[in-house]
Amino acid sequence: MSAENFKLTGESKFGVIALGVGVAGVAASVAGLFIDHKTFYFAYLVAFMFWMAIALGGLFFTLIHHLVGAEWSIVIRRIPETLASAIPMMAILFIPIVLGMHDLYEWSHEEAVAHDELLKHKSAWLNPMWFTIRAYIYFGIWTFIAWTLYKASLDQDGGKDVTEKMRSVSAPSMIVFALSITAAAFDWLMSLDPHWFSTIFGVYFFAGSWWTTLACVVLLSMYLRGKSKLGEVMTIEHYHDLGKLMFGFTVFWTYIAFSQFMLIWYGNIPEETIWYKHRWEHGWQYVSMFLFIGHFVLPFLVLIFRASKRSFTVMKIVASWFLLMEFVDLYWLIMPTFTIVNPDAHHGLHFSWQHLTTFVGIGGLFLWFVWNRLTSASIVPVGDPRIEASIHLKNA
Amino acid sequence: MSENMNEIKSQSAEELKKKADATGAKALEILIEEEAEGVVAEFPNSGALLEAAEKIRNAGYKRFEVYSPFPIHGMDDAMGLKQSPLGFIVFAAGSIGCIGALLLQWWTSAVDYPVVYSGKPLFALPAFIPITFELTVILCGFTAVVGMFALNRMPRFYHPMFYSENFSKKAGDDGFFAAIFVWDEKFNVREVKQFFQNIGGKNIEIIHRPLEAELAQQN
Amino acid sequence: MSMETATLKQEHRNGHHHVYVPEPELINDKPRFKTITDIISGVPEGKMPRLWWILFGISFALMAMYLAVITYLIWKGIGIWGNNTTVGWAWDITNFVWWVGIGHAGTLISAVLFLFRQKWRTSINRFSEAMTIFAVICAGMFPLIHMGRIWHAYWFLPLPNSMQMWVNFRSPLMWDVFAISTYLSVSIMFWYVGLIPDLATMRDRAKPGIRKTLLGLFSLGWRGGNRQWRHYERAYMILAGLSTPLVLSVHTIVSFDFATSVIPGWHTTIFPPYFVAGAIFSGFAMVMTLVIITYWMFPQIKQIINERHIDNMNKIIMVTGMMVGYAYGCEFFIAWYSGNPYEASIFIKRATGPYWWAYWSMITCNVIIPQIFWIKSMRTNLAVSFIVSIFVNIGMWFERFVITVTSLSQDYLPSSWKYFNPTIYDVACFVGSIGLFMTLFLLFLRYMPMVAMSEVKGVLPHANPHHPDHELNGHGNGHAHEQHRAEKVAELATKNGGR
Repeated sequence: MSAENFKLTGESKFGVIALGVGVAGVAASVAGLFIDHKTFYFAYLVAFMFWMAIALGGLFFTLIHHLVGAEWSIVIRRIPETLASAIPMMAILFIPIVLGMHDLYEWSHEEAVAHDELLKHKSAWLNPMWFTIRAYIYFGIWTFIAWTLYKASLDQDGGKDVTEKMRSVSAPSMIVFALSITAAAFDWLMSLDPHWFSTIFGVYFFAGSWWTTLACVVLLSMYLRGKSKLGEVMTIEHYHDLGKLMFGFTVFWTYIAFSQFMLIWYGNIPEETIWYKHRWEHGWQYVSMFLFIGHFVLPFLVLIFRASKRSFTVMKIVASWFLLMEFVDLYWLIMPTFTIVNPDAHHGLHFSWQHLTTFVGIGGLFLWFVWNRLTSASIVPVGDPRIEASIHLKNA
Repeated sequence: MSENMNEIKSQSAEELKKKADATGAKALEILIEEEAEGVVAEFPNSGALLEAAEKIRNAGYKRFEVYSPFPIHGMDDAMGLKQSPLGFIVFAAGSIGCIGALLLQWWTSAVDYPVVYSGKPLFALPAFIPITFELTVILCGFTAVVGMFALNRMPRFYHPMFYSENFSKKAGDDGFFAAIFVWDEKFNVREVKQFFQNIGGKNIEIIHRPLEAELAQQN
Repeated sequence: MSMETATLKQEHRNGHHHVYVPEPELINDKPRFKTITDIISGVPEGKMPRLWWILFGISFALMAMYLAVITYLIWKGIGIWGNNTTVGWAWDITNFVWWVGIGHAGTLISAVLFLFRQKWRTSINRFSEAMTIFAVICAGMFPLIHMGRIWHAYWFLPLPNSMQMWVNFRSPLMWDVFAISTYLSVSIMFWYVGLIPDLATMRDRAKPGIRKTLLGLFSLGWRGGNRQWRHYERAYMILAGLSTPLVLSVHTIVSFDFATSVIPGWHTTIFPPYFVAGAIFSGFAMVMTLVIITYWMFPQIKQIINERHIDNMNKIIMVTGMMVGYAYGCEFFIAWYSGNPYEASIFIKRATGPYWWAYWSMITCNVIIPQIFWIKSMRTNLAVSFIVSIFVNIGMWFERFVITVTSLSQDYLPSSWKYFNPTIYDVACFVGSIGLFMTLFLLFLRYMPMVAMSEVKGVLPHANPHHPDHELNGHGNGHAHEQHRAEKVAELATKNGGR
């Protein structure tokens, strides 16, 4: 097998369309910034976290793949690797959040901190300078890991023996990854409500992140099947396995979400329950219920059956649904905090066209980047010594 | 479909003796053929057994079985068996467990004797989730095991296959066997023996109850 | 024929010339199926070595002492323990959580690793499942005797009492009853289902007599026909699928015992996954301890449980140890970040207060010592593995002690702060429970096949019907679908002339 053989063969305007949509989205977002900057930054944060979750999930996929020496996922490995390679671009797209910190995070308001004992206590951690430095430390770490593994993987296509190297890079990287994604979730999401805290929050964000990445891998590979020889080596068996993981992580996400909810509900301490109270009034209760049904019940009932995991159509629909639900999840995490920095705003749901513009803006650029990388190399890591076994995967 | 013991015809010892006397020297052989419950053949490995299963199926036999010390991948397809229905049975049991557990907790806590504990609502769904989950799982578990036993007709301590000494010695160890039973419509002792020979079976044996011993006792 | 030549041939057939990285051998010496049967069935069929009798003698004596102490405890009441009005939960709950946690590795190996197609699990799953059952039995003893009036244990059943009142389903302790009993039942079923084919194998080998009769009875007339395997495999898969969330739920519910309360150091949302990771961590350490003890007694087992298994288990010990470390870190950070003075104070007191020795024992044993496994030669070294596994067992006991006792002994009301001192009966109950566990485990080795024979055979390379070099002869490439795909890949490869 040679790398050339698994490059894109069919015609595809995917990259061009992604870039076009991305640029248009960015332009519209800039307009949004000038029209209503308060809404813009919140919408931007939701969209940014969505695509960031996919990139981080891709990084986790790559790391865990190397760590356990997985065989079945070799043929699809290039896709998560490439998703993770977009992290440096996400670092650039993080700049608006740094600039708009004041519109997002209450702890960045000096006057608020001055009158709030808790915020004063936390200001050693939550202050604009340290927040920004930390964010770029995370991006530095992730970029380093993602690109080390991505480049090693490309070297492997060229015949270099890097299996051991990738594994030994992955082991310490996993530790750093676990710590940094937790800290990032605390910083970027949990501190939106700076009084609130939950030790499991990092795991919650991670669970949703990988969950979404699995769906993204399914969708991207479905598209690539028609455009390259991926379809000949990636069979329904691989989708079956991805489906099992999607099912498993639907349950895992629910488990983590339920653990957090249950303990806070049962303990019934006001400073903790307030977070859920915000999400159970002014119409948010419908979003919460929708999240429970859409993020758990429906995927659970569909994916539990073997036949659904072995159907291209069902998998395509479920994977698209996953993307929608991750967006709802992030929307549900972020948007109720809008009134913390904008006390005069109305408390209900905030539907704004800015959610759409920022989503397609960042998404277009993200996918354009990913597409460019995907098409510049082989779509299948042909150099992996165990690729044969991966192709011959068969489910019991 | 599992092999059905009830169809095995049985002759009284007296009848056997009468026949044996009548036919003379080859009496035992004929008796064995008449009393055959099936024919068993041994195959050298899992691949050969898989091939054999496909050939037996293609030859039109339905009441046959292959035996191996571990499950062989692809054997269900080779034998033309459908997927086990166990999954659906368990899913149904799980649903009953889930709903039953919720009903139990709702009725005892909110209807029959409502008491408020630690400020929780009477029907406190989050607090009912753990027990609902556990009861769902245990019902699923019991159903999976009991259902498997039922589908496999277990326990069943007597089976014609155990008459074969070679089978009993090797089946759980390293032997790969295929057997075609008398209750197959196409069954004919000699034909089946020949058939097994053709497809590479070794140690071909007619399965029968210990007639030698029975006859000896009679004499 | 080795796996290596086999795969090379396969590659050659497909026209590839990859650098072939052989998978490490699952089993030493690539045995025939018969060798496996002989080694495994040979143990309960043969005589027990001297070491077995020595260990059994010690364990049995400890168990006898345990029963005596429990009898006395029930007679006198739990006042003979060191528990006091402040520290109402102490060694009893520590031991309970410790034992339940140990059980978790068994389920992880038999169910989770099964779902992830980790073939190496087949050598140790029977073993660890047995360990799970015995550990859960030991665990269940502690809440029972802690009740004081054990004859009222049936009050935990969902039955209305004399005043027509029902049990409180909103109580985490009630959830525990359901979780532990479900866990025990499902673990026993899983274990038994796995045992059936092996019991049949041993039945066929046994000489007529009571042993054969019993084996025959419990193997339920198993014959190993494919129609049986078909439902059997499905049942096994379903049980594995059920056990995976079950094992998560059990330690989650145990963690709820603590975390649903508002005691500082107990009420934190990371408890459920943190407890589960800790449980697997301690359980793997116990499996390691037992494997190495079994090596001493039955060296022939090294053919089936080899360095690779030790290596893999040590990796899991290291990873789960770090997960536990992650949770310690998260808790500490949030204790500060939350700005809750009670929370912060309990964490500082854990590290520097009267129980500092327990806290630092926990950190040393759980987070620091397993780091030695970054070095590969240490991961396969039996002496090192044994020592580390003992440290982890100790460390995880201290973890539960730190959680239970430090938080209780110094909560919101300083006037009721009290230090906990164990009595001789606390120690006797704990040590005695180890005696019970070891007695059961040694009896298991004595009477049961300690490795799942049919599963080990099933993952041997020559068990695969498409294995090109069958041990006995070469035909076997019969599956049309499989061949078709192989051809397709070969075609792809030849198009660009191989590499």
